[in-house]
Amino acid sequence: MARHRRAEALEEDEPELDISSLIDICFLLLIYFLVTTTIKKKERDLDMALPSAAPSDQQPDIQPMFIKIDVNGSIYLNSGAAQEILDTDTSSREVPQLTQRLEMYASAARAADSQPLVQLYVEGDAKQQRVVDVLNALAKEKIEKVTFTDLIDAE
Amino acid sequence: MIDMVFLLLIFFLVNASLVIVKMDKKVTIPVATNSNRQSEKKGRIVINVYSDEYSADGRFRMENGKTVFGSDEDMEQFIKDEKEKMDALGVIPKIHLRGDRDSLFKYSRRVIRVAAKAGVNQVIFVSYATDKGQ
Repeated sequence: MARHRRAEALEEDEPELDISSLIDICFLLLIYFLVTTTIKKKERDLDMALPSAAPSDQQPDIQPMFIKIDVNGSIYLNSGAAQEILDTDTSSREVPQLTQRLEMYASAARAADSQPLVQLYVEGDAKQQRVVDVLNALAKEKIEKVTFTDLIDAE
Repeated sequence: MIDMVFLLLIFFLVNASLVIVKMDKKVTIPVATNSNRQSEKKGRIVINVYSDEYSADGRFRMENGKTVFGSDEDMEQFIKDEKEKMDALGVIPKIHLRGDRDSLFKYSRRVIRVAAKAGVNQVIFVSYATDKGQ
């Protein structure tokens, strides 16, 4: 009986850890991060391995596809007499006609066991968004070989 | 309750440390639905290209959005210096081009040209996946 009473007394004497201040700090940190965190839209990548401006001696296996973007954002295919106008609606982020042509070109190139190659000529005053629209269409068809022609502005 | 607080705290701590590439809100980047998630954040040389609205304080600026490139030569030197640092670390340098959607392409082209002169040929055109939340 006496031994039991002694054990109870020992239990009562056990030191307790006071964690209330720790919880306070945690709450403060939590509130700090909640307040300072802003929900930002995640930025994404359109990777382009641009060949250097220096001309290559090696002839490509396949005739490159020539795309032109003019000041108004209209997209043209080919140059000279063979030039044809494709997408002109700059309010839309889709370029259906170009996508269709790229799809045909890319599948033909891959059937011939070569990499599709695109030459892009952009007039200096065209908007960045329009160029990205075209790059987006290229990314859709997994065309990675892109050359920006005429990298020097006539200024 | 305390467990939940700890979990939330850890979540915010981890999230806060993930932000490496700074994003200047003054640059409204274009939309490209087929763009890829940013997987590798190392080796990026961030260059902001501003639209006419914000270009009065400098058309081309560094990651922080404050340091302005006075000339193409300044930009070239900066890219060269960054390239050297990355080469020493064994990382492939890339231009992280944050061009405003309304800016003219000739400015982005200038960055590409200067980067090519400085020996960096990999360019990342930064974009959003959707137009929502703008």
